[in-house]
Amino acid sequence: MYKSWWKILGSIFVLYATVAGFLATVPELPILRESIRNLYFHVPMWFSMIVLFSISVYHSIKFLLSNNAEDDLKAVESINTGIVFGILGIITGAIWAKFTWGQAWSFDVKQNYAAIALLLYFAYLVLRNAIDEEQRRAKISAIYNIFAFPMMVVLLFVLPRLSDSLHPGNGGNPGFNSYDLDSRMRMVFYPACAGWILIGYWIYTLLFRLRRLNKNRLS
Amino acid sequence: MKKLTTTLFLFMMTLQIFAQDQNPEAASGSLYASDKIYVVVVCAAVILIGLILFLFSIDRRLKKLEKYSSTKN
Amino acid sequence: MDLLSQVKFLIKKELLLEWRSKYALNGVLLYVVSTIFVCFLSLISVNPVTWNALFWIIMLFASINAVSKSFLQESKGRQLYIYTIASPFALIISKTIYNILLMLLLTIIALGFYMLVFDYVPTDLPLYLVATLLGSLSFSTIFTMVSAISSKAGNGGMLMAILSFPVIIPVLIVLIKLTKNAIDGLDRSVSLDEISILLIINVLVGAVSLLLFPYLWRD
Repeated sequence: MYKSWWKILGSIFVLYATVAGFLATVPELPILRESIRNLYFHVPMWFSMIVLFSISVYHSIKFLLSNNAEDDLKAVESINTGIVFGILGIITGAIWAKFTWGQAWSFDVKQNYAAIALLLYFAYLVLRNAIDEEQRRAKISAIYNIFAFPMMVVLLFVLPRLSDSLHPGNGGNPGFNSYDLDSRMRMVFYPACAGWILIGYWIYTLLFRLRRLNKNRLS
Repeated sequence: MKKLTTTLFLFMMTLQIFAQDQNPEAASGSLYASDKIYVVVVCAAVILIGLILFLFSIDRRLKKLEKYSSTKN
Repeated sequence: MDLLSQVKFLIKKELLLEWRSKYALNGVLLYVVSTIFVCFLSLISVNPVTWNALFWIIMLFASINAVSKSFLQESKGRQLYIYTIASPFALIISKTIYNILLMLLLTIIALGFYMLVFDYVPTDLPLYLVATLLGSLSFSTIFTMVSAISSKAGNGGMLMAILSFPVIIPVLIVLIKLTKNAIDGLDRSVSLDEISILLIINVLVGAVSLLLFPYLWRD
């Protein structure tokens, strides 16, 4: 958490992904045109969100086993960060959808399910605010977090495969691999994902350290 | 605060000038222009703005903490 | 006492309590019947899609009302008593089984009455029945756990709704798709995906709540 090599690595990855994302050559695609470059900005947001939520579940499980208040703080702050990334993912997705599918909210299954997945975590925050007693709040919200996680997995990874979607890789649409994620795009896409995940993790550690300081001064 | 609003105002005026500069036949709506590259620009800007706003909120929390610890010492 | 006899004992206790007051069953039945009547009076005749949507809306709210009672209604003293005589596993298993029984009964009655009032029978009635049974099964497993969480959190009904809606929406999506298949009279092999997903969700939720409930229960 305190070493800085991975923060530098993440920054370099994001910087590289941004520059190369705008300048590298991309395949010619009919409707997407140049906006295929959004792949380097929109998709990593979702990956970071999922990674951050997984981290929070990991810490919630740890909390239930150890009853250590720090694990609870870690779980909350990673969810806070994950929600920010999710909202950014939804907004960029809506902008991209507006200019390729014609509508900002085209009731595409993945869009809807992603919004519902975010609702799950808003419910988590509401639950936290509803309980006053600290020890109890930590325990109950950890339990809800673990309970909600399989649902989020079902929502984001299982259900979209059942129905037709405008997103690539679902229903009748071909996946990324078949037409546009050629090796050149992969060279940018993977570092972009890794970079944004590292940046998200960094922000989460900052929030956690802040929260811990705040807690220490109160006690 | 006043300075900030003036800057913002002037900034908006420059935006206006840029907007007038655009050629009218650029494929119906500015974001469709030049192969939709501006969609990517807007998305990147949204991510930046979002993260910067997030940074500001972290900053505010830190300030509260600092204020408290400075009064204690 | 071993687990099985504890479970049996607790289910018997629930059934006895319910049989004495008939509060939950009658209340929810009255709710279902009056909602169906209101729907009938305002719509008279509906097309199958609306019929299906209305049915799930009615069932959703009826099941929230029915199942949320299972933990919210218990008094402090009775909870303490159960705590001393039974293991948490026995408690969650018995509550879930009791709720499943209650929901099955409720769903059958509601569906029968609903078909009677609107004078409409789905094309593939057996499949529709299977779907509603699966639906009541998943409603009861999910709502039992959520009602346990919200009863521990201390402020009942409102929190129950907020916590359970994002969790139940994925299930509802699958259910509506499945029942739509039944109404359209599609070939049954088409619906196997949905049925297996519902079963998987149920197993997942059951396993997670079995693992988590002991942590929730001991204070």
